[in-house]
Amino acid sequence: MTVRLDRPAERVEAQELGRTLADRRGGTWYLFVVPALAFYALVVLYPTVAGAWYAFTDWTGRNVAPNFVGLANFAELFSSPPARTALWNTLVIAAATTVIQTVVGLALALALHSALVTRNLLRTVFFAPALLPPVVIGFLWRYTLTPAGPLNDALRELGLGGLAQNWLGDGDIALASVIGVIIWQHTGLTMVIYLAGLEGVPAEVLEAAAIDGASWWQRLRYVTIPLLIPATTVAMSLTLISGLKLFDQVFVMTGGGPGYATETLSVIMYKEAFVSGRYGYAAAIALVLTMIVFAFAFLQLRALRRFEVEA
Amino acid sequence: MTTTTASLATGRRVRRRTVLAGSLALTLAGCGFVNTDGGDASGGDGDTTTLTAYVNTELNTGLTPLIEKYERATGVTIDVSSAETNDLNQQLRVQLTSGTAADLIRVSPGYSSPVAVGVLASDGDLADLSDEPWTERLSDDTRPLAGVDGKTMAFPVSRNAIVMAYNKEVFADAQVEPPTTWSELLQVCERLRGAGVTPIAAPFQDGIYLQFWMYALGATLVYAEEPDLDDRMRAGEVDFVDHPGWNEVFAKWLELRDAGFFSEGALGIPFDQGMQSVAKGEAAMLLLVSAGLPQLFSYAEQGAEAFGVFALPATDDPGDTHVPLAPDFLAVNAASDNVEAAKDFIAFLARPENVAAYANAMGVLPGLDVDVELESAVLDPILPLIEQGRTTPYANYLWPNGDTQQRLLQSGQLLFDNKITTEQLLTEMDQEYDKGTP
Repeated sequence: MTVRLDRPAERVEAQELGRTLADRRGGTWYLFVVPALAFYALVVLYPTVAGAWYAFTDWTGRNVAPNFVGLANFAELFSSPPARTALWNTLVIAAATTVIQTVVGLALALALHSALVTRNLLRTVFFAPALLPPVVIGFLWRYTLTPAGPLNDALRELGLGGLAQNWLGDGDIALASVIGVIIWQHTGLTMVIYLAGLEGVPAEVLEAAAIDGASWWQRLRYVTIPLLIPATTVAMSLTLISGLKLFDQVFVMTGGGPGYATETLSVIMYKEAFVSGRYGYAAAIALVLTMIVFAFAFLQLRALRRFEVEA
Repeated sequence: MTTTTASLATGRRVRRRTVLAGSLALTLAGCGFVNTDGGDASGGDGDTTTLTAYVNTELNTGLTPLIEKYERATGVTIDVSSAETNDLNQQLRVQLTSGTAADLIRVSPGYSSPVAVGVLASDGDLADLSDEPWTERLSDDTRPLAGVDGKTMAFPVSRNAIVMAYNKEVFADAQVEPPTTWSELLQVCERLRGAGVTPIAAPFQDGIYLQFWMYALGATLVYAEEPDLDDRMRAGEVDFVDHPGWNEVFAKWLELRDAGFFSEGALGIPFDQGMQSVAKGEAAMLLLVSAGLPQLFSYAEQGAEAFGVFALPATDDPGDTHVPLAPDFLAVNAASDNVEAAKDFIAFLARPENVAAYANAMGVLPGLDVDVELESAVLDPILPLIEQGRTTPYANYLWPNGDTQQRLLQSGQLLFDNKITTEQLLTEMDQEYDKGTP
């Protein structure tokens, strides 16, 4: 008979304590867990699994027993030109907003993490658009960007009439206009995340680097930015996910047009489900979008975690 | 002590169970699993009937005085809920599936949406109204949209027309009259442009307003000659891309674009800005649904007096011109416990005086073919066409699914932007059309 003697005393004590508590509760702990699990299963797990199942059917929202169609919905998604355009646009929007928003947000945070007298006012001004509902932002910019709208008027007043464009009506620039609006709205949020991150950068480390002769750029490149990687992880993950799921602003500003120029996966999912009544196909789009969000978020998180350092 | 502890524990258990049961009941009630009103469809007291109705906001506005009149006369209560048409279309489908739809429901014409008459009637969701006396007064443009297989499944509360509205002052300043032929339309546009005015406001940012051109031109160039075209298209005998009429529709639309008669930057202009440009006199004309006229009038100081309307000509013979009409339908939920009561209410709405009351209250055309003296003279110019039967349904209401229209809305913008050809657009529409009714 072998006796193991290598169990740490704390662990033994904790196990004994746990057993004692379980005994004292009379084994009724599951009464507390089961309702919560059942509720979670009912409102989260079941709809999720059912939604995934409908992606493989021809459900119209009316047929109680939809037919199993295998991968037909997915084949249509990847072969239909409008759907492929929507997929491409979704990736372009997510990539562009993630990169530009991160760079501009960081720049704003660095500029406003200073002794500037108006820094609090400027922080509020830059953050304010992030507080407005996306639908309000959509309507605001929909009118600002019309051919006779305030933006073109302002450009003409400044003698820059040559830069006036049909911002949302020209299929060649409409997607860029939408991306610009998204960045305008959410850069303030990225800035706030970086401002919080900058508060965590130890002043003594920066001072030591300065005493060692490091220039402003070198302190930024080799001290500040590496210490801001956790903030970057949060900011980029949030931006990427919201970019992939983008719906409200596009739907309000362009409806996916002109033509299919600004169509996104979320917008065509909405149209297929609620306009065309093709819920099975819409569920397939939703499932693909979910997979894309998971995959990109996971990869991005892993990549950024590698660069994280401790102060 | 032990007894006290036990009774406290029991008391806690009882309280917990009570709270749990209460929470569960509240949750289920919130989810709609529990009927919390304590009544049935007949109002619960056995003496009065309560009908429920789910309609769009326009119908709600127009029906309210008639409902009050009906309630006073019969003692029946009508409980109306309303939503914007798009929201209603989304919710109605879910309600019908879950068995919670109202007794009276607003449905779209033909097969134009998942909650259109043709789709719902084919699924057995609508009560058959074919035996109702008012069905004899359905107009030819409405009958094909009101049911399936020769049965009438919906009641047209009103009809809307696609008309060209124009700014009278701008026309007078340019010394032009409303055109009655296609050539005259081109000449009028040329004169207006010469006077420094955008001849035709083209707020095509939303494809919904672009499609009116196809339906208005198609009424004369396609459906006037071939009212049964869609029967042949469904049978696979004809398609869009090879049909001369449909090709001519797009050719004429593009002719106006190429001549520069539409607003500059049309694909970036929202519809209300298009209306405002006509009201301000920056543009002269706008093609729109007659239901949109009150909004147009609201943008001008003189109101309706500032505008006139005419039917869009598409040929050089004024006698060819047809105008597209579309009804707003009310139907009876086949699963309702109050089908007969709902039919009785519709019969009340179908009385000529009530048809007239609704049309005058809303400034729309009467839903049925009855002699109605419209109080507003705005639509007078197109009434002779309606009296002569020179009307057709909106084309999309005859198509077998909403996707064909959706393709027209989006690819139509590409065609306008010169990104695709008419042949490509019509081929895409054929592909959607051939998928049939879902």
